[in-house]
Amino acid sequence: MILDLARCMAPELVLITGATFVLLAGALAGDAGRSLGRRLALATTAVALALVLTAGPPETPRNLLEIQASGLSGCVRLIGLSVGLLILLVNGYGPTPEERCERLAMILYSLAGLLLTALADDLVLLFLAIELVSVPAYVLVAISRGDIRAQEAGVKYFFLGALSAALMAYGFSFLYGATGTTVLSAISLRPEATGVRIGLLLAFAGVAFKMAAVPFHLYVADVYEGASAAVAGMLGFLPKLAGLVAGIRLLMLLPGEGSGAVWVPPLPVFAMLWAVAAATMTIGNVLGLLEGNVKRILAWSGVAHAGTMLVALLVGPQTEGGPMRDGSWALMFYATVYGAANLGAFGVLELLEAGGRPAETLEDLAGLTRRHPWAGLALVVCVFSLMGMPPTAGFVGKLWVLAAAFSVGDGHPQRTAMLVLGVIAAINAAVAAAYYLRIVAACCLPPERAPLTLRSGTPGLRLGLVACGLLAVLPGLWPAGLLPWTRPDPLPGGWPTGKGIHAAIGSGEPEGKAHSAETGRQAVCPSHAAAAMPMSAGHANPAVELVFNPPCAFSPHGPGPR
Amino acid sequence: MGSITLMHYLVLGALLFCCGLLTMVVKRNAVGILIGVELVLNAANVNLVAFGRYRGAGIDGQAAALFVIVLAAAEAAVAIAIFMNFYRHLTTVDVDRGDLLRG
Repeated sequence: MILDLARCMAPELVLITGATFVLLAGALAGDAGRSLGRRLALATTAVALALVLTAGPPETPRNLLEIQASGLSGCVRLIGLSVGLLILLVNGYGPTPEERCERLAMILYSLAGLLLTALADDLVLLFLAIELVSVPAYVLVAISRGDIRAQEAGVKYFFLGALSAALMAYGFSFLYGATGTTVLSAISLRPEATGVRIGLLLAFAGVAFKMAAVPFHLYVADVYEGASAAVAGMLGFLPKLAGLVAGIRLLMLLPGEGSGAVWVPPLPVFAMLWAVAAATMTIGNVLGLLEGNVKRILAWSGVAHAGTMLVALLVGPQTEGGPMRDGSWALMFYATVYGAANLGAFGVLELLEAGGRPAETLEDLAGLTRRHPWAGLALVVCVFSLMGMPPTAGFVGKLWVLAAAFSVGDGHPQRTAMLVLGVIAAINAAVAAAYYLRIVAACCLPPERAPLTLRSGTPGLRLGLVACGLLAVLPGLWPAGLLPWTRPDPLPGGWPTGKGIHAAIGSGEPEGKAHSAETGRQAVCPSHAAAAMPMSAGHANPAVELVFNPPCAFSPHGPGPR
Repeated sequence: MGSITLMHYLVLGALLFCCGLLTMVVKRNAVGILIGVELVLNAANVNLVAFGRYRGAGIDGQAAALFVIVLAAAEAAVAIAIFMNFYRHLTTVDVDRGDLLRG
């Protein structure tokens, strides 16, 4: 039993063990300990990633700890660890070198929390996993720089985070009370009950904080400004993705509405998420337009991106009409691409110094493309990807989310609302271009004031920036390369939807089995097992082809062991 | 006088929750705000244990409450460390004094 559990949780166990050893390495004296810690942190993540890539079918041990490996957890492991590797590279060279090992260890703990969020099959474990993402993040913000601003950011981040955690715990207590069990896969909520409504509202408040969605977005700019740039780049990915995954897990507890193979959350939840998504996109962009500090602009743009991801979350897993209509798949692709581009943009700020202090304002960036063309190129590429400029990866992500929102089927009860939300998202994408272009224009201006210099002795940071830049562009030119890796298959029991979905699972099964036999390997979820790559890659490029024949829309393994 | 029912515990939890929220909004002292957070977490604990007794089978609710207590302790440790740093720079734990970041 314990061995089964250890095998099922191997990547998370490796991360947590590795993080502890990185902390110990930090206690060793001097530079030797610190560079050992950095190498150890990178090796830990690489080993965890290798374990994920070589893993066989996920097993689901019961009765010991409530763990459920699924297509979602496989997908989150892959993209979390890949982008996590970049985050470690970028964060390995920050200010306050004496706390480098602590910083890297906190990132590893946070990463383990993200992976556990997708893996948890128990309300308590889900709560603890979300907090395992957040608590190290509070520490990271506070220790990322030595000055008072980081301390202020840490205090602000901690209080809002603790409030949201407490709200979430209170909400979870109602969800437990309404069902009498904490096992997620055994819970089916009835949204008409008052307790369930209170519980869901409070739980989603916690999720909204992690995602930086309205009305829990106010901390974002202050925290990103106070933290070092590399830590801000991390904050744009790990907590955000953890919030989204927790949101998916909560939505899966609800009975779906909608006819045929159309997934729709119940109306009150739909209305709440709709309003939050629309407000998050709009408010994030308006606040972004008013700022002059690049870190704050990127922070507000992160709020707007959270809104776009909420649109994809709201479209949800749609099985008919091909991957272009699948909101969950679009969501994972978008989160990956956004995480990399955001990290790259913040990483360039981490690399730059304007007159001995970190570059932060638009004026600081003047002359960047002339003095340091490569750093300028990285920043411009990442900003274009955030903006959604073709042919970057951000363009494919935005297009995919919009296409999914616009192509909801006739069976969708709130079809008009979904179309309106798509229009709002499209308008916001255009508005956001204004402040992104201000950053690009600032880089191209002639140099004015204090000379911009690149911090020396940062090979890993530069390598990380190259990787971020590539990840911000290449999937735009060749989406099929990244697509299959970001595919979240439903849990073994399928998404909780109308009866049509379960029929769809049945119809998907034969194709999946044929595929498994073909590759001579028990591919459990395409994003989990590399063997399944060709299947999805064969369906090629969503940027080019808008409508597909229905592919093997659901997991090849069908309803699974449950 | 009727006997004590689930509703009594839920009302107690709701009262604790409101007290905690009010404390967080009103207090300017960082430690005071932390106490507010603890109150809200304890509201969740009261709910969990009460639901476990009246609705659940087994000890899920009680176990969950234990985990929430552990989390509260971990959060408090991190919080105190952050406050210490804040205090070293400003020689106060009044959160309104941290106003360098615009917003």
